[in-house]
Parts: sequence; C-alpha cells; structure tokens
Amino acid sequence: MSPAQIRFLTLVRREVNRFFKIKRQTVGAPLLETFLYISVFGAALGTRIDQLHGVDYVVFIIPGLIMMAWATNAFSNNSSSLLQQKFQRSIDDQLSSPASPVELLLAFSLGGFLRGGIVATLTFIASSILVGVPVEHVLVLIPALFLVGFFFSQLGVLVGLRAEQFDDVSFYQTFILQPLIFLGGVFYSATLLPEPFETLTQFNPVYYMIGLVRYGFIGYSETNIALSLLFLTVAAGILFTVNLRLFNRGYRLRA
Amino acid sequence: MYALAIKDLVKRYPTGTEALKGVSLEIEEGEFYGLLGPNGAGKSTLIHCTTGLAQPTSGAIEVFGHDAIHHYGDARLAVGLAPQEPNLDWFLTLEESLDFHGGYFGMTRKDRRERAQELLETFSLSDKKDQRTRTLSGGMKRRLILARALMHRPKLLILDEPTAGVDVELRLELWHYVQRINAEGTTILLTTHYLEEAEQLCNKIGFINGGEIVATGTSADLAREYGVTNLEDAYLKLVGRGELSRAHIGSEA
Ligand SMILES: Nc1ncnc2c1ncn2[C@@H]1O[C@H](COP(=O)(O)OP(=O)(O)OP(=O)(O)O)[C@@H](O)[C@H]1O
Ligand SMILES: [Mg+2]
Repeated sequence: MSPAQIRFLTLVRREVNRFFKIKRQTVGAPLLETFLYISVFGAALGTRIDQLHGVDYVVFIIPGLIMMAWATNAFSNNSSSLLQQKFQRSIDDQLSSPASPVELLLAFSLGGFLRGGIVATLTFIASSILVGVPVEHVLVLIPALFLVGFFFSQLGVLVGLRAEQFDDVSFYQTFILQPLIFLGGVFYSATLLPEPFETLTQFNPVYYMIGLVRYGFIGYSETNIALSLLFLTVAAGILFTVNLRLFNRGYRLRA
Repeated sequence: MYALAIKDLVKRYPTGTEALKGVSLEIEEGEFYGLLGPNGAGKSTLIHCTTGLAQPTSGAIEVFGHDAIHHYGDARLAVGLAPQEPNLDWFLTLEESLDFHGGYFGMTRKDRRERAQELLETFSLSDKKDQRTRTLSGGMKRRLILARALMHRPKLLILDEPTAGVDVELRLELWHYVQRINAEGTTILLTTHYLEEAEQLCNKIGFINGGEIVATGTSADLAREYGVTNLEDAYLKLVGRGELSRAHIGSEA
C-alpha cells in the first residue's frame, strides 16, 4: 500500500472506530427504534389499515424505515463526529498531516455513510425475518440508497462544520431533519393526505427519496423515478461541491 | 538548505488582529531554536501557519526546501508538532492516538506498532496504553502529545510550550530527551516562557514581540545586544520591563 492509501484508510478507520466504540448508541439504538416502529405501526396499526397499494401496511412502511435509518445515521454520525473533534481540537492532528482537503472530506463523509449502511442493512435483515420484504427493482434500489446515504453524509458534514455547540447539531436533527423525514411519507402514502398537505409534500425532497426506495423494494411509486434519481444526484453533487469548497477554504477548521 | 525558512509572513485573523507583521526567520538544519516572547506575541500563530492550522495572509514558508503553504505534503511529513494546548481525542486509547497519527503520515502497520511501543516505553506510558486519553493526568497528556509528535520521525520538531505545567522531574526528563534527539540530528523549534530552559537547550534564540522578530542570536549575543549580562534581563529589556530585573531584587530594601 502506498503512503497515500494508508493515510486515507487511516482517516476512514478513525471514523469507523469512533462509532464502533459506542455501538450501543450508534448501531443498537437505531435498530431498537426501527423494531419499535415495526411493532407499533406495523403490527398494531397494521391490523386495522390492512393493505396499501397492494401490500401489507407494515411492508409499505419498511422501505421508508430502512431509508430513514441510513439517512439519520449518516447525518448524525458526521455532524457529531466533526463537531466533537473540532471541540476537542483533536482534529488538528488530521489537519496538520499531509492529508488534502478532499481526502479529509471524503473520510469524514464515509464514516456516517458506512454507519448508515450498516444500520440500514441490519434493519433490512431484521424486517425480512420479521415480516418478509420484497426487492422488486434492485438496480433502482441500490443507487437510490447510496445516493440518499451520500446526500445525508454531506449534510451531516456541513452541519458539523458550521456548528459551534452540540445544540446546533440537535437543532437541525430535531427541527429540520425529523419533520422532513416524517412528513416525507415514511408511514403513509401522500395520496391519502387532504389538501393542502398533499401538494405541500411535493416540495419535500425526502418525499422523492422515499418514492425511489419504496419503488426499489415493492415496485410501487407515486413519483417519477428517473427524474427523482436525476434530481437526487444533482442535489448530492451540489452539497459535495459546497463542502469541498469549505474544506478547501479551511472554513471553521483552520484559523 | 534551512530546516525552516519563513519570509515576510503576515497573518491577520478574521477578527482583524494582525498577529504576524511580516516575520522572516531561518532555522538551520540541526539547530535548537528558541522562540521567545510575551503572551500574544505571535509564537503559536507562527507555528500554526507552518503546520497548516492557520492560513497565512501573505508570505512564504519552506520546510527543508518544501513549500509549506500550497504544496504542503512533503513539508508536513517533515514536521512534528506538540501543540501548546493538549488536543487529544478523549475517546481514543493512548495506543490508538499514536497509531492513527502514524497512519495519517503513511507509516505501515508494522512500523506503527513498533514505533508506538518504543515511544510509550520512552515516555513511561506503556502500562496505560489501552486506557482512554481522558484518564491521563496533565503531565501524562503532555508526554503523550510529545510522543505523538515524534511518531512519524519528523526532521523538524516543533514544541509549543512543552513544559508548561509539568513537574520538575518530567521537565528534566524532557530536556534530556530533546537534547538527545537534537544531537542525533532532529532540528527543534521550541517556545517557552522559562528562560533558563531556553538558555540550557537552545543554540539560537529569536525574540518575537507584537508580531515581529526583534532580535536573534545566541543567548550571549542577545545579552550583549541589550547591554545586560543574561538572557532574562535581555528579555525584560525587550518587553520594556528592565526594572523587574532580579539584579534589583533586594537592592531596594
Ligand atoms: N484564532 C484566533 N483568532 C483571532 N485572534 C487570534 C487567534 N489566535 C490568536 N489570536 C491573536 O493573535 C495574537 C497572537 O497570539 P498567539 O497565540 O500567536 O500568541 P503566543 O505568542 O503564542 O502567546 P502565548 O505565549 O500566550 O501562547 C494574539 O493577539 C491573539 O489574541
Ligand atoms: Mg502560544
């Protein structure tokens, strides 16, 4: 391995090491949360709701839960990790190494991306065992989940970079991310909503992400798949570019 | 070739503070250079500009002939930094702290293992290697930070007040250690507020005040330049507090 490869792998390893050390909180808690959602919404409510667009209600919500797991874990991992390292100034160790801004950005992004991927995969396995989940369009599903993970990884890095205290991170999580995800249609089909909510939902980017992932799993979609994929790619690309510029400028990292 | 060559370095912080006002400074390979000056003189700022932690406003910095600002790869490889404020990650163990650092500098796994073990032993930290860094005492943190700075075998070691708040034994231990590696060829840049430390260790001293280098030379040169007999009095003259000289203590009573 070349020194540059060792360097990059170590930067990533550092991020993975962090969330594995606190796996009860970073992997265990999200799994439990998903399990609770499945029990409460799926098992309890599901017996009343019956079928939605041809599938059991519990199966209808699982794609959204899997996506939500990836998204929130990618986001919260990266925002907290970056903020924590800035706060301790331990990030100076990476900043004064030969690593370039793009390497640093990719390594910080990958931490949350991988954590989200692990939690999402475990959620998928657990729900497959519990209720059985179809995979209809794997070629849409995989890129869609990767893009969602990447998008929220970048968002996490951005928020962690800007944040000056832990409050800042939980603010975004509680007041922006959670509502967008919940109102994006994890637990229902937007077509069931009364106006103006049905229309308002169309302005929520998470709605389209859920559309893609749900299509990948159960083959049902209310949104345009090709357009959503394109749009998500562009959005993730823009976020990455913004982050890269900030890293290049040393924004809130180098005085 | 200089170990460190700084030319016309200006650093203006976003707050408007001009911490460095066109500093030029050269450190020869193998030198033990002491950078002295009062609080807020710009010592740490100069060090941060050299190591990528602060972004210079203008000027040039070269480490062993390698640009340290724009094409910093080789320059950073050659520098080891022990910062003024301990900046360890509380959640890492001592061994991990050293191991990751070595990885950032491209060391192989085998090399990292051996080097970490060697340094932990040198700084009497071996028995704590699996503990998290937040369990260390202040002096132990200092030692670990020094070990981390040395991990990748830098040719230029920068020590920003390494002996602030450490006990007498550790201070002397550190002196012996850095003197030894200096004798073995490592160039050292040291900042300190203990003038006898600088006098003991450094073969060249630079005075910095208000973001400007105001004098350089051996401690004898500086004493002569300020018309006094020792480094401390020269320093006091520099900061305009000559009346504090120990030569006057007792004479007023
Ligand atoms: N991140 C920063 N933002 C704004 N101003 C800063 C920053 N860091 C340092 N300064 C200012 O720059 C000047 C030089 O500070 P610096 O830390 O380089 O001094 P120093 O010589 O290391 O002092 P000390 O002996 O106290 O460590 C001071 O006026 C300080 O307030
Ligand atoms: Mg300082």
